[in-house]
Amino acid sequence: MRIYPQLFLRDLKVSMKRWSDFLTGMIMFILVAFIFPLIAGSDQDFMHRIIGPVMLLSSLLASLISMQNIFKPDLINGSLEQLVLSRHSLNGLIFIKILSYWISSSLPLVVVSSLIASAYYVTGIDIIKVMLTVLLSTTTLVNINSLAAALTLGVRYPGALMTLILFPLSLPILIFGSKAIEYSILGLDSSGPFYFLTGMMLLSFSLGPIATAFAIRISID
Amino acid sequence: MDLKQIYKYGSPPQYFKLSLKSENWFLIPGIFLMIIGCVGGLFIAPPDYQMGDAFRIIYFHVPSAFLSMSAYAYMAGAALIGIVWRSNVAFSVAKSIAPFGASFTFLALVTGMLWGKPMWGTVWVWDARLTSEFILLLLFLGYILLHLSIKEQKKADLAASVLALTGVINLPIIHYSVVWWNTLHQASTISKLSSSSITGDMLWPLLVMIFGYGFFFWGVICRVVASEILKREKRSKWVEQYIKELR
Repeated sequence: MRIYPQLFLRDLKVSMKRWSDFLTGMIMFILVAFIFPLIAGSDQDFMHRIIGPVMLLSSLLASLISMQNIFKPDLINGSLEQLVLSRHSLNGLIFIKILSYWISSSLPLVVVSSLIASAYYVTGIDIIKVMLTVLLSTTTLVNINSLAAALTLGVRYPGALMTLILFPLSLPILIFGSKAIEYSILGLDSSGPFYFLTGMMLLSFSLGPIATAFAIRISID
Repeated sequence: MDLKQIYKYGSPPQYFKLSLKSENWFLIPGIFLMIIGCVGGLFIAPPDYQMGDAFRIIYFHVPSAFLSMSAYAYMAGAALIGIVWRSNVAFSVAKSIAPFGASFTFLALVTGMLWGKPMWGTVWVWDARLTSEFILLLLFLGYILLHLSIKEQKKADLAASVLALTGVINLPIIHYSVVWWNTLHQASTISKLSSSSITGDMLWPLLVMIFGYGFFFWGVICRVVASEILKREKRSKWVEQYIKELR
């Protein structure tokens, strides 16, 4: 069972080496979030109204930037094939890979989102709620990302195709995520959207690795 | 009938013969029903007291919307069968349904827009069913493009089927999350036949049209599946024999 922590640490180390890829995602996140007030106006009410959609949209775009690096480098250097051939369950290995990918690509976004929230004049406990929303929605998005990346492993230029696969599947997360932020800022009861996001996270972490592992087996054999 | 008979149609030549044989059994009733439905809907049914004659586009809008969703269900079902039994026939059925499903989805969107212009004053409203229909179109397009962009036939089949199945899990979630913001699309006209909010004069052409569309769809699918199977099996003996017999 030692393979799981080993793989986890190995993936984290590799992504530290490729830090520029993940930095690009984070820059994208900040850029999109900061460009909205600049082009659409920056009075407080308006900012409070758009922060939900902006947060979700910028994390979606950030994930689009970095998602090509989930499996492609491992496919090229051959380590993905070794994972498929190993005697351990591929579902578990993929789960670990997705988790470490989430830590290197999305955990920084969660931290940065607190700064962006305060730049959007959000105060107090609402900042925590914004961070929680970004955390819950990126964990789901990461699973959809990895499924889309695995399905398009055999495609030479997968960019547009990945987008086409990713957008419809991530729509519920976008809607409920921005509702969660909107309700918390308006002072309404936001537990409903948060429950939904948590449910989606559990669903995607239980089905996502299985579907991704299946898709990887298809593209490798 | 022995249920094991079904396994026979897992083999491409058997299914090819079946679909060629059953093509006309679907196509002719389909066209017949569609003609009846058109006449009934466009000429016999009384004009609506609120919408006037403009409501008649319902006879094209509702069947296409109906068919687009059931086409996705058929496609996903075929994809599931294909994944479980690795059946080439099921994959070719799924692949042939996809473009027709996409076109019916497109038709439903276009007729909806044409209807929306005089009724709501705009071609597009951000309401649940329009948006889910649009998402459905995106899912169909994703399936088609994924299938096109993977060169190897077997891999393309499997990968696209996984995508279709993911869409099935996600479609209800997408639909209900879009319903979250309530909307101005009129409530379903024929939710349950017993309590439908449409009079009998207007209803029967609609039902006839729905069945006509369905039969027509399957008739076309039979032919497309047959040609798809021919394309896939072009190197096998029975296709050679079949072509010799044709000459």
